[in-house]
Amino acid sequence: MSFASSMVASVPVFGRMFKLEGEPELEPINAWPAAMIMASFMWFSVAVLLGISLPLTQMLGFDTSLFYTAVTAHGAAMAFPYVFQLMMGVGLHRAAGCLGKPITGIIPALAFWCMNIGGILFTIAILMGLKISYAVMYPLPIVGVQTGQWSMTAVVIGFTGIAGILLTVILLYPVQVIKMLFFDRAQDDLILSPRTLNDPGMLGMAMAAFVLLIMGAPLLIVASAVLLALYGILPMAWVAWATDPMVFQFVFYIFAHNLMEAMAIMIISALYATLPLYLADGTRKLYSDRMANLALWILLVTSVTSFFHHFFTMFPALPSALSYHGNIMSWGTGIGAAVTIFTIAMTIFKHGLRPSAGIMAALMGFTLYILDGVSAIVTSNVAWSFQLHGTMWQAGHTMAVLVAMSLMWMGVLIHHYPVITGRTLSADSGKWFVTLFTVGAVGVNYSFLAAGAAGMPRRFAAWDQEGWMIYGYFILIFGLFMAVGMLIFLLDISRARIIDTGPVAAPAE
Amino acid sequence: MLDFIYRTGWGAFAVMLLFQIPFLLVFLTLVFRKAYVNTGPSEISDARIGGLRRGWMALVIALFLIVNLVSIQFFPAIYTARAAASGVPAIDVAVDAQSWSYDMSRQEFEVGQPVRFNARSLDTMHGFAVYHPDGQVLFTMMLVPGVGVSSLIYTFTEPGTYKIRCLEYCGLAHHEMNDEITVTEAST
Ligand SMILES: [Cu+2]
Repeated sequence: MSFASSMVASVPVFGRMFKLEGEPELEPINAWPAAMIMASFMWFSVAVLLGISLPLTQMLGFDTSLFYTAVTAHGAAMAFPYVFQLMMGVGLHRAAGCLGKPITGIIPALAFWCMNIGGILFTIAILMGLKISYAVMYPLPIVGVQTGQWSMTAVVIGFTGIAGILLTVILLYPVQVIKMLFFDRAQDDLILSPRTLNDPGMLGMAMAAFVLLIMGAPLLIVASAVLLALYGILPMAWVAWATDPMVFQFVFYIFAHNLMEAMAIMIISALYATLPLYLADGTRKLYSDRMANLALWILLVTSVTSFFHHFFTMFPALPSALSYHGNIMSWGTGIGAAVTIFTIAMTIFKHGLRPSAGIMAALMGFTLYILDGVSAIVTSNVAWSFQLHGTMWQAGHTMAVLVAMSLMWMGVLIHHYPVITGRTLSADSGKWFVTLFTVGAVGVNYSFLAAGAAGMPRRFAAWDQEGWMIYGYFILIFGLFMAVGMLIFLLDISRARIIDTGPVAAPAE
Repeated sequence: MLDFIYRTGWGAFAVMLLFQIPFLLVFLTLVFRKAYVNTGPSEISDARIGGLRRGWMALVIALFLIVNLVSIQFFPAIYTARAAASGVPAIDVAVDAQSWSYDMSRQEFEVGQPVRFNARSLDTMHGFAVYHPDGQVLFTMMLVPGVGVSSLIYTFTEPGTYKIRCLEYCGLAHHEMNDEITVTEAST
């Protein structure tokens, strides 16, 4: 038994959901993914509670600093230790099973520990008073020290945690994927369902790994320089190039925007791989692989420079030409999405669908992903951005894209769950989870968007004016739907039964 | 009509729904029909698929082009340039944002008078959002310290008290960072 699998088995409550009871020979492709997926759901549970607390602190009139603590911790836990780690776990398992390459050695272990210890350190810093929102808002961390809002110690601990998370996201995970795709030796007994890079289900994995590595590198360099200066290893004056707020904005959003796009490319790719397995006529193919790959390429190319839409309202500090470019590229991602919609819809129409909790979760996640995409391109138009930037509209987009991707990944996870754990979920379990979670997520999203349209600011501790509180009530109600849906999902997987028909018959894909 | 669509948050919301509702209706109907009502494969020729695909992509591209081309006249860069070229002299207002207040060189204006807001931040990132008395955001500017002054010309069309808010999270009293400007009827 590997360290990762014995660690999972020893964790209370969550360990039961993900401990490995399947074929021991598959442990090299299952152990670290199970650990990552388990940890992601532990973070998610905390993040959901923090999310519910956000409208509550406002309604009950608690101290405003409590709201800022919760909003920072909620966003930080959601984006990285939850969604990214869930994606990393399921994605690595998928890639390993398709390529027959083990997920063992130092890199997956480091990826797991850097992400989770990083997340814990950042959380400690937040509890010590560092309230900088998950977007860091640089130079706020430093200005906050100068104005006595929090201590330098909290900043150093928080930045150390962020560095750990970034190391996993920008370096360790992509390197592991690239290593598996291009270098490691395949082991026949680990191949569950072979796929090559020509397959849309695998192409997206490769694209995303390179996007993360390349677009994240500048942020990793800047963040490392700042961190070395904070530790006192480098004099502050030496890193002045990195501490310039404008430099930070650019390296941060080039990364943060492309991180989201890379994750989207990866999950759309996983959907392209999973949907054909649930076609009613047993085709096991999309109606057109060429269109699927085309959509991924369009998404890849247009998304790289659409990050300028984060800066429209810096006019005229952001030259108009770059604004227009960001506007056009953002809507260009919509062209890629239109191709994806057609491919998914035509495949379902042509071949029929064999419904199950997994594929329905993935398709409802996809629906939310498209709804969110529309709200995103609308606010990526220069004219609308000037009314919507900094409002709840933007917060709704951030939340919806993360929730949509996580719902799609949960769908893919339900599909892979028997192979990873050796346990099976009851056939119609998950129906309630998919329904409640989808209704909740769509409802929360529209509540945020309407609040944004009404001018309600995001990350703002005073909702009790201008009639904004009504949106808070809607967010709370739909948020509870999501929380209950999630609880049902976690209960379901903790009750999964061991597959009793000998070795797992069905391959992963 | 166009003013409502492109210069208010609810206009953006309406356009968003215009795209979302047809997608929701068609896609969800398709998924649920093929999953629960008639799960069998459907006969469709490759030529028909090709035709549908061309039609769908042409529709999407046309809609995207129309929405964005019409929006150009509402870009702040465009209406700022137009106001500057109109010959009516703009009133310059210096806005210094600092945690957690604004220092404005002038806070009273008249209807029809172009006002050039020259805003900057003196410490961390701040926003400078001007709200219409009815609660709509008229425009917001993102102020990054160290990049100098961001400018935008806005011409108020209605008298009233306009709220200013910071829309970039800037620390513990972020929600208290606000101010007001007053717009009065033109004195002929
Ligand atoms: Cu501020």
